[in-house]
Amino acid sequence: MPPGPSPAPPAIRIDCGPVVLGGREVLAPLRLDLAERRIGIVGRNGSGKTTFLRLLAGLIAPRSGGVSIGGQDPFRDRRAALAQIGILFQNPDHQILFPTVAEELAFGLAQQGLRQKDAMARARATLAAEGRAHWAEAPVSTLSGGQKQYLCLLSLLLMAPSTLLLDEPFSGLDLPTTHRLRRRLAALDQRLILIGHDPPGLEQTDRVIWLEEGRIAADGPPEVVLPEFTREMGRIGEADADTDLAG
Amino acid sequence: MLTLTSPVDTPWHHLPAGAKLAALAGFTLVLFALKSPWALGAALGLVLALHLPGGRRFGLHALKMLRPLWFFVVVVSAWHLWTGEPRTGAVIVLRMIAAVAAANLVTMTTRLSDMLSVIERLMRPLAPLIPPRRLALAFALVIRFIPALGESLARIRDAWAARSPRRAGWRVLVPGVLAALDDADRAAEALRARGGTDGEPPRG
Repeated sequence: MPPGPSPAPPAIRIDCGPVVLGGREVLAPLRLDLAERRIGIVGRNGSGKTTFLRLLAGLIAPRSGGVSIGGQDPFRDRRAALAQIGILFQNPDHQILFPTVAEELAFGLAQQGLRQKDAMARARATLAAEGRAHWAEAPVSTLSGGQKQYLCLLSLLLMAPSTLLLDEPFSGLDLPTTHRLRRRLAALDQRLILIGHDPPGLEQTDRVIWLEEGRIAADGPPEVVLPEFTREMGRIGEADADTDLAG
Repeated sequence: MLTLTSPVDTPWHHLPAGAKLAALAGFTLVLFALKSPWALGAALGLVLALHLPGGRRFGLHALKMLRPLWFFVVVVSAWHLWTGEPRTGAVIVLRMIAAVAAANLVTMTTRLSDMLSVIERLMRPLAPLIPPRRLALAFALVIRFIPALGESLARIRDAWAARSPRRAGWRVLVPGVLAALDDADRAAEALRARGGTDGEPPRG
């Protein structure tokens, strides 16, 4: 990594019609500029958070309009998208495509144009630098959940996209692993856009977007959006859980 | 997970995959040229000796990989004993075991990605018809997802057993197929997230 502050990653511009999946409108039309380095996404289950990330990653297309990162549409131009955007799926098992750790790491590099031999060498060097040289030939199935998550993150970092999209990166991880991963992410130069369930985890961000039924319910600094979100979630929970009879 | 490549490190792991595959092809041709059970027995002995550097665990794993052959061994032996041609039977059985054991040895000592690069190289003349990278990728995906399918069937069976006193049996098939289709969708998305089936052509 080059010393000193690196130039800000190119902003992401979203100007699109609705996203319809299986005949259901999952996201309403959106107009949004994402330029901050740390952005959190909150919302209830089914509010469209994951769909929003997939839209940014260029994995799905809206009905009209689109997403632009540094002037390129990640849905149409997959090659340009690889340098700009990487996505960490919520479940690492859905991300891992290869039978061994080194092969999984090398794949992304080969996709970016490195020769297989060089890609494997880079993968091994990275593992060694991480103190995990012995992982190289390990079958991915022998890794624990946290280790798989780590492998997926590492293979993203190797591809060095300017923006990382993280879908609840800490779900299912134990506390030490969560702390380690948090430290690791905090040190990154890239833009991070992460979905989080728990508001405290997003206090260090520059901006929080709250999605509700596929629409933006609030968008602003964390100290404004998070307390509001927490209050509203508490209220909904109360209403659901309230079984007391008036009397 | 179906671990085709053995984690036990043997000297054979460090040989180039192309050389091993060529040697395997040559060895198999010789097997078919040999007509005497003694010569074939010696060839089988050679294959077994090549397993020795791997040690006990490696050897046991290799034996396990030969298990699918037992049925053919029994049928072929029984038939030739019945027809009074034990010599022909021995030739067929020895040749079959030696050929499969040698192929397994190559599989167990060659990383999948190395195997795939060889396939990619060999298929290059067919590139206009089948892009070699796609073919290689297809192989890798099959090897990654066959065990994943097994695991997802086992999970469905567990979910069934947790709530039913009876065995699940064939009933896991429909949810199993649906889970496989889901897996396929997710793998396609993961692939797209990292540049799709073709990616960029290698540089340099």
